[in-house]
Formats: sequence, structure tokens, C-alpha cells
Amino acid sequence: MNEQTVSTGYRIELDAFEGPLDLLLYLLRRDEIDIYDIPVAHVADQFLKYIRRARELDLDIASEYLVMAATLTKMKSKALLPTHKFDGEEEADPGAELRRQLILYRTFRMIAEELQKSEETWTEIYTSPGERERWSSDKTEIEPGQASLLDLLKALSSLSEGEPELPSQRIQRTLLTISECIGTLEHRILPGRTISFREIIGPEPARLKIVSYFITILELMRRGWINCHQAYPFSEIQLQRTERWSVDS
Amino acid sequence: MILDRLAREVEALIFASERPLSVEQLCEYTGSGEDSIHQALDRLNKSFLDQQHALMIIEVAGGFRIATDREFGDVVSQLFEGRKPGKLSRAALETMAVIAYSQPCTRIAIESIRGVNCDSAIRTLLERDMIKISGRMETPGRPLLYSTTRAFLEYFGLSNLDHLPRFDEIEELLGMSSSELEERDLFGTGEE
Repeated sequence: MNEQTVSTGYRIELDAFEGPLDLLLYLLRRDEIDIYDIPVAHVADQFLKYIRRARELDLDIASEYLVMAATLTKMKSKALLPTHKFDGEEEADPGAELRRQLILYRTFRMIAEELQKSEETWTEIYTSPGERERWSSDKTEIEPGQASLLDLLKALSSLSEGEPELPSQRIQRTLLTISECIGTLEHRILPGRTISFREIIGPEPARLKIVSYFITILELMRRGWINCHQAYPFSEIQLQRTERWSVDS
Repeated sequence: MILDRLAREVEALIFASERPLSVEQLCEYTGSGEDSIHQALDRLNKSFLDQQHALMIIEVAGGFRIATDREFGDVVSQLFEGRKPGKLSRAALETMAVIAYSQPCTRIAIESIRGVNCDSAIRTLLERDMIKISGRMETPGRPLLYSTTRAFLEYFGLSNLDHLPRFDEIEELLGMSSSELEERDLFGTGEE
């Protein structure tokens, strides 16, 4: 196999495989390796290369692949280390379990292919009335005692789907702009008269009203349209219109 | 060809039945013997064929059913457009295969064979009624056991579980130690 084919091989994404065993079987077939005589070191290297490449491509690597990578690495290191054989002791073949898994998986994969062929044939055949009723809009009723856990879960989820919406209430956000406040204050802070801040906001004012009017007062002071007097901190604020109000506005 | 009374009774019963009718049921309802039923079925299918009907009687999921010829799959499928579920994914098919051959089995058993997480495949198969929860294993954690359903047989056109493709070896394989495996090449090395 030349370098070219090797590199194209890697381009197959991990998504195309149904797990690490599927990938391993692919590698064995690609490199024409006998499943009963797996060169552990070689296969481990190939597998790890694949995982590394997937990582470079920033693909999600399912944990199963990482477990297999670790297992193969362990097997490889065992295969490379010299083994001490004692009399009467059977040497465990590190590849045996992997071989069993691969053969078993390969068998089921073959069966799955057979099933797929049957599926292909049988989805073209329609029986009457039978299973096709399953796809009709109204479901057949389930006899008492026949409901499965899944039926109950489906029923539960359909209940929660149909649940009426909780009564909701719209809360209007009232906006009080500074220009609106100034408009109002024009009629409250009259020329030659003194009015207190408390009088402007009235009894039991909403917080929004207090804040809006206070900011407006600050704005009016900045413009020089009013004069403020306060005898001591936190005492009543007295407001008076200046002559500039009429001139500027 | 004029059909006899028995053949027409069998035809009527199969047509009207909700479920596949077994030979035993057909015997009971018509008061005839098994051989007569089989012969009647043969006559029916011959007449369907002779007159070039789009129908035939097939054996599926342990009984007989009237079914459309495969040739008309495209035409008939229009009736179920948007309702008929799509084909099963590879993951679902593999999971299906494991459950079919080693049922009843746990999720862990399936996952150890496939080497990947099978949650979503199992969920798909449950939703499509291909498998059912058939109990719990009496081991710590009491894991759920999964088995195939009648819908599974019908979907894959199997008349019963014995008609699954033969892989006697599987049972042995599942229990066999790896050294035993060494000695027998079950599937021929040419397979891969």
C-alpha cells in the first residue's frame, strides 16, 4: 500500500463507524489482516493514528474509542515486553478477548445486513389490515393490562403537551420621561411661588415617580431654570422658578 | 378456475382478520384439517397468480395474511406518505440483530457486543414497537430485559423467530472461551 491510499483512508470520518469494533474491523480488512492472527502492535498504531487524526479535525470522539485506544495500547506494551514463563503456567493471549469481541461483533453486523435486506423487501409489501393501521391517525385502543411502560410514558407526555397555559398577566411598564415631568412642573412651579418636592410628588408616590421627578429637578437646576433650598440634609426641598425658565422655553 | 367453498372461506377469514391467522385457527374456523387448509391456500395463491392479481397470501409472524405484490410498493406507499416511518439506521439494525438472537437481554449485554452506547437505538426500537421490555434480570440493579415483538417479525417478513437466518454458532460464541474460538473458523477467513 502506498502513502497515497493510506492518507485517503484516514479521511473517512469516525462518524462513519458504529463504534471502535467497527473501526477495527475496517482496519483489519483494509490491511488484509487475518482476524485470528492480529499483529497487536500494528493494529494499535493504526487505531491510534485514526483517533489522533479525528482529534486534529476537532471531531467529537466518543469515550468508547478512547477506551479501546487504551486497551490496545496496553495490549501492545504487553506484547512488546518479554514474558517469563513458569512451568505449567498457561500464557494468556492478550489478543484473545479482543478476537472474541471482533468475531462476535462481525457476526451480528452480518445479521444486521441480512435484516436490512429483508427490510428492503418487506417495506414494499403491504398487508391488510394489520400493521399498516399503526400508521393511521387514530391509534388502536390498548386493552386493560396491556399497556407497556412506553405507552404510559407516551400518554404522560401527551398530557403535558395539552396542558392549558397558566393564566398570565401583562404588566405595563410606565415610562415617565423628563420632558413629560418638565411639562407637568411648568404648571406646578409657578412664577413667584415656592413649592416643596413633597408637594410635587404628592402623597404615597410610586418609586418611579419620586426618581423621575428628582432627576427632573436636577435637570432643571442644571439648566438654571429653578433654585433649590434645603435647610439641612434630608429636610424638605423648596423649589422656585427663575427667570431663565420663561426665557429659554 | 373456480374456487371451492373452503378456499373462499379461508380467503374471507384472512382478509377480515386483524392479525395473521395461524393454520390452527383456520382449521378451527372452517372445521377442516391442516392438509386441506394448506391445499386451499395453495389454490388461492394459484388463482391470484393466474388472474394476475396484485395480491397474494403470505406467511408472516406466525400466520397468514393478504399482502400486496412488491411491484406495487411505490403506488401503495402514497397512502401512508408522511406517516410511514423511515428505514432503520445501522445502529438500530445491529441492536435489533443482537436482541433477536440473544433475547431476552439487557442493555449492557447489547453494548458489550456492539462496543458502543445503545441508548438511542434501543429507544428507537421501543418507539417503533420492534422490541418490548419483557422483564427484569434478577441481578443487582435489576436491569430491564428486552425481547422482540410481533411487529418485528412482520417488519422483517419473518414467520417466526425460528426463521431468523441460521447462526447456531452465536449461542456457542457468546459463551465460548477464546481458546476454543481459536480452533474453529466459523465464518471463513474470506469473509472480511
